[in-house]
Amino acid sequence: MKAVVKNGIAVFSPQGFLDGNSQNAFMSTEDIEAATNLKADMILVSLKKVVFFNRNGLDIFIKLFLKIRKKNHITVGFCDYDSKKYDAIKRFFHDELNFSLFKTLDIAYLFSSSFKNQNKNILVYSSDKSQRSAIAIELHDGGHNPIIAQSEQEFNEKKEKKEAYDYIVDSTFLGQMGQKVATRVTGNAIIYTISSFLDVEISDKFNIEYHNNSLNVGFRLFIFDAYKVISMNVHALNFFSKLASSAAEYNANICFVGMKFDKTPEIFRETMEDAGILFYAQMDDILQNKELLKELGASSASNVKNKRALNKATVLELPKFIDATVITLEMMTNAKAVKEAVNVHNLIIEDKKGKIASSIGYYGDIDGMVILVFPQGIAKKACELLIGENTDDMELILDTLAELVNIVGGKIKTLLADELINVNITLPRTYQDVDSLLEVVENRKGVQVDLSFNDDKFLFFLTR
Amino acid sequence: MITKDKIDSFIEKIPPAPKALNETISLLNIGELTKAAKVAESDLALKSYLKSVVNKPIYGFRNEVSDISQIFGILGVSLSQQTVYNYMITLLSPKKWVLFKLNAKTFHEFQANLSKKWEIILKHLNIDDKNIYAAISLLPASIIVTEALFAEKIDDVNLLRSAKALDFNTILIRLCEVSLFDICEKIAKKWEMDENIAQIVQASSGVKPSNSEKINTLGKWMHLLLFYELSKPELVEAGLNDFLDFQIEYISDIYDEFASLMGVE
Repeated sequence: MKAVVKNGIAVFSPQGFLDGNSQNAFMSTEDIEAATNLKADMILVSLKKVVFFNRNGLDIFIKLFLKIRKKNHITVGFCDYDSKKYDAIKRFFHDELNFSLFKTLDIAYLFSSSFKNQNKNILVYSSDKSQRSAIAIELHDGGHNPIIAQSEQEFNEKKEKKEAYDYIVDSTFLGQMGQKVATRVTGNAIIYTISSFLDVEISDKFNIEYHNNSLNVGFRLFIFDAYKVISMNVHALNFFSKLASSAAEYNANICFVGMKFDKTPEIFRETMEDAGILFYAQMDDILQNKELLKELGASSASNVKNKRALNKATVLELPKFIDATVITLEMMTNAKAVKEAVNVHNLIIEDKKGKIASSIGYYGDIDGMVILVFPQGIAKKACELLIGENTDDMELILDTLAELVNIVGGKIKTLLADELINVNITLPRTYQDVDSLLEVVENRKGVQVDLSFNDDKFLFFLTR
Repeated sequence: MITKDKIDSFIEKIPPAPKALNETISLLNIGELTKAAKVAESDLALKSYLKSVVNKPIYGFRNEVSDISQIFGILGVSLSQQTVYNYMITLLSPKKWVLFKLNAKTFHEFQANLSKKWEIILKHLNIDDKNIYAAISLLPASIIVTEALFAEKIDDVNLLRSAKALDFNTILIRLCEVSLFDICEKIAKKWEMDENIAQIVQASSGVKPSNSEKINTLGKWMHLLLFYELSKPELVEAGLNDFLDFQIEYISDIYDEFASLMGVE
């Protein structure tokens, strides 16, 4: 059984009856191995479509959780259950409940380190007092506003007023949580939240792959929210210095916000400044200062000095990239995709209105970025198979477009692998208007291909 | 990926039911077990299928049963007809399975288990209608149809399913507005199976409930029975556990009854 990874959470969805006989069939040794190599912040098993399970039936997943915890230190557990299933799991594992339980997948997203939702009002209840506090602290750390109900009665009264809360969290249990550095994207800046004592473990907790991907797809400003950092040692100092030097290659900036040096040697600050790290007292000093943002590279990519030209290796493989797009679009729409014109120049989008875009980077033997620009209606058509319903929900359309470009990325990876070229793909990124896309790729030369399916035109752009 | 033309060509290629089988079914329909057995004897493949199925442990016979009239006699009219239909469905199954890791043995085993448990369910529900007995035979056709339509597209499907957990039925409905069970219905029509059979199998998809309460109830039992079987290790390993979406809410009102009947603890 394979997991589906979305927004940093990998979910396994077994169906039917889970007992001691079937458990090993659901998770083969190769599946467990593949799961431990997943690039995810959280690995969960959804019990939504499981009608029956006993303790033996869950054993294989517990084994998987242990292995993943040991190797990746990320959050693991079950989600999507009703109160009967929740009680059963707690009964089965009450002494050794070191994994987490999230009533729904949406609740799990609130706790993931690459949380998309923020600043939500969340009603929290657990009959276990320490759990109540743990849940509230985690949510608060994630930038939400938890409201704790102290008793079941209070919870029942409060939850009547549904409109007052974005989410209601109950029947949820936090086991050992992931220790990954939380990441969020604000505009074109990436904010990492770090806290307490920073030591050699920072290199395990920090998702360096995600960081490198972000550099690859054009992010130029990285902010470390360090309000809660108590102190750091020389290993952490080395880590950040190295990070700053690698960022310099991309002309990216790394800033620390709210870092205090009463328990950290002042000389560390100087060393970090020498490495190119900038220090600010408040987050708003950066985020509210448009001039500074521009200077730091968050609002425009025009100041990127190391513009990388298209090289022969990329151009030679161009047909593969186009094929991957064409094959994916044909697969998703059952319509013939046609290549209309190919040009090498900067990205030109004639009519910017109503267009959305999505990009995916790849790196390895060769590197670069594929961008697809669609009129909104056409994007919807291209994603019909994934969406399955008629919708004007922009968030859903963008989300689905990210899935589509992810499939294109997967196809690129396979097609290149046939030529013995190994690449990895980054997380997809979406742009709800063309201007935000141009901020990233403006003045970058690339190959622009006009494509169409069923006479619906869209644009493919390959750049580095 | 899958086009309507491909579906049409699949349906067109379904062979008409062999004459001997049609005759056997007609004779079984009027309760002529001995005459039916005589006709069945003439089809060697059917004979060998009947022998192999009836001698599976789930049927619980101590000694090998090899004579067709004896087999029909033991099974009775309803189960004999159901078993002949099972055989007809196997005629559609591929020589080599690609999408699902199945072979003739596991497939026959799966058919036999479904049949035997469907019999238990119908007895429990006090239903004695040979067409309803036979309905279970059509259910595995959904797996054969999936294999036939998607086997060549295995890479595309895997890529798609790595980004979104879509079951084969949903993919087919969204691409071609036709479900796996619509295709099963067409098979049933082509083979002149009773209309009720197709309706029950449609309801068993869990996504197309019937207007008739009776058919709907049978559809629920069949849906749950299917997933009970698809949770067996050999079928999970074959990749069948998630080929269809299990509609857990659809069966919620019959689950406890099912669990006690099947001895789920």
